[in-house]
Amino acid sequence: MSPNNPSTIVSDAVARHHTHVVSPHQCCSAVVQEIAAPVSTVWSVVRRFDNPQAYKHFVKSCHVILGDGDVGTLREVRVISGLPAAVSTERLDVLDDERHVIGFSMVGGDHRLSNYRSVTILHPRSATDTVVVESYVVDVPAGNTTEDTRVFVDTILRCNLQSLAKFAENLTNKLHQR
Amino acid sequence: MAGICCGVVGEAAETSSPIEPTSRPSARRSLDLLPLKYIAADVSVPPLENSRKRQRLDRRASPARECDNAVHSSKSKVVEVVPNYSSKSPTLDSTSPTVVEEYPRYGVTSVCGRRRDMEDAVSVRPSFCQETLSHDKKLGFHFFAVFDGHGCSHVATMCKERLHEIVKEEVHQAKENLEWESTMKKCFARMDEEVLRWSQNNETPSCRCELQTPHCDAVGSTAVVAVVTPEKIIVANCGDSRAVLCRNNVAVPLSDDHKPDRPDELLRIQVAGGRVIYWDGPRVLGVLAMSRAIGDNYLKPYVISEPEVTVTERSEEDECLILGSDGLWDTVQNDIACKVVRMCLNAQKPPSPPSSPRREMAVDCSDKACSNASILLTKLALVRQSSDNVSVVVVDLRRT
Repeated sequence: MSPNNPSTIVSDAVARHHTHVVSPHQCCSAVVQEIAAPVSTVWSVVRRFDNPQAYKHFVKSCHVILGDGDVGTLREVRVISGLPAAVSTERLDVLDDERHVIGFSMVGGDHRLSNYRSVTILHPRSATDTVVVESYVVDVPAGNTTEDTRVFVDTILRCNLQSLAKFAENLTNKLHQR
Repeated sequence: MAGICCGVVGEAAETSSPIEPTSRPSARRSLDLLPLKYIAADVSVPPLENSRKRQRLDRRASPARECDNAVHSSKSKVVEVVPNYSSKSPTLDSTSPTVVEEYPRYGVTSVCGRRRDMEDAVSVRPSFCQETLSHDKKLGFHFFAVFDGHGCSHVATMCKERLHEIVKEEVHQAKENLEWESTMKKCFARMDEEVLRWSQNNETPSCRCELQTPHCDAVGSTAVVAVVTPEKIIVANCGDSRAVLCRNNVAVPLSDDHKPDRPDELLRIQVAGGRVIYWDGPRVLGVLAMSRAIGDNYLKPYVISEPEVTVTERSEEDECLILGSDGLWDTVQNDIACKVVRMCLNAQKPPSPPSSPRREMAVDCSDKACSNASILLTKLALVRQSSDNVSVVVVDLRRT
C-alpha cells in the first residue's frame, strides 16, 4: 500500500486500529486481500459477528452467548474437524460502521492462540473494488517459533479472506442479475 | 463372543497396560448388500467330469433332496468359471460342469466413537469389475475402501459413491494393457477433480451437515482402496488410513501412512515451498495432520491427492486383509490386529469331521467370523481410548 497514492491514504483514526501493542513472546502480522465488490457489500458480510461461517471456511457453527451484536458481544465458534482447535470464545471489541472497522479477541476456548486480537478494516479503492486488511497480534505458544505462529495464523486468515472475496463477488453478481 | 473378548483382553494384557472394561456397544453399520449364500468351489481342483462330481457329492452323505437344492441354486445364478490355476489348457467343453464363482467374505464396522460427527465412509463392492480374458472366462474383481473425512463428510461420501465407478471405467479402458499403478493414480486424480468441480459448481447448499454451504476448499478425505483379484491385491493409499495383510501369522503393511513428518513427504512439501509446523503434532502449514488427501484444495500443492500403490501377489499363506481408518490404527498395532482377526477366523471352524467338509457352513461361518473380527477390532480401539471415528473392513483371503 503506497503512502503516496491519495486513494490509499488511511486516516489517523483508522490507522490507529492497526497499531497493536506487541509484548515479548508475541508476534504480529497482517494479511491483505483485494475484492472485486463494493465496500458496502463486503462490509455487510464482515460486520456479522454472529455469522462468521458465511465466509470463514474453518467455522463449523457459531452461537452468540452474550450480547446482541454490539461491542462486548461474546460468541462461541465451533471449528471444523481436522484442525488443531475445537472451539473458540470470542469477544467483539470494535465495530465502526462508518469507517468499516471490526475487531475481536479470543478470550477462551480449546486452541493454542492465547491473547489473540485482530482488527479488520475495509478500504474502498473504487466504487467496485475493496481492499481488506486484517492485522493481528498473538502469543507465540511454547515450543513454537514466531515464524511458526505467523505461518499458521496467516494461512488461516488468507484462506478466510480468499473465501470472503469469492462470497462477496458472488453476492455482487447475484445483485446485478436481479 | 464373550470367549473371544476374554481371549483378546488376555492377549492384549501381555503387550499393554490393563484395559478397563467398557459397556459401550459397537454398532455394525447395516449393509444394503447382504452376503449371498453359495457353494464355494475349490479353485485348485481341476474340473471334474460329471460322473466324478456326482461321486463327490455322494461322499458328502447329504440327502438327495438337499443335493437337488444345491444344484438348483447353482443353476439359478449367473455362473462364471473360476480360473483353473493347475491346468495349462482348461477345457472349453460347453457341457463341462460350471464352477460357482468364489465370492468375497468380509466384515465391516464403521462407528462414530467419541467424536461429535461421523465423517468416515466405507465402500464395499464385490465383483464390481470383471475383466474378460476370453468369451467364456471372466475374473471377478472386488473393491474395498475406507475414507476418513475431515472438515465435513461430503468428500468422503462422494468418494464412497464414485471412486469404485471411476476405477471400473479406467480398468475397462485399459483392457489387456492394464497397469495398476498408473491406473490407480489416474483414478485418484479424477476423484479429486470431481470433488473440486462439485464445490465450484454448487452455489446452492446440498450438504446435509451443519455447514450452510459446501466449503470444499477446507474439506477433504483420506482414501485407502484395495482391489482384490484372484491373483493380486492392489492397494492405493492417500492419507493416513491403512491396509494390512496377514500372511503366515505376520502383519505385512500394504500402505505407508502419509504423515507430514515422514522424511520423504517432509522433503516433497518443502521443495514445493510449504512448511511442516508442529502444532498439536506435525501439520502442513500447522493446519492439516496428513500430507496427502482427496480435496483440501486450499493446501495444494503441498497436500496432494496422488496415491502410493502396492501390488501384491496372492499366496496360499494369505489369511486376511484389514483396512482401517486412523481411529483404529492409532490405538491398535498391525500385529495385534492380525492376531485378533486370525483368532476370530480360527474360532469359527465348523465342528464337522475334516473328512467330510461342509463348505456352505464354512462359508457362512467365515462371513460371521469377518464381522466378529471387525466388531472386535472396533471395540478394542474404543476401549484403548481412540478419540476418532473408527472404520474397519476385514476380508478373508483364505482359499477354501
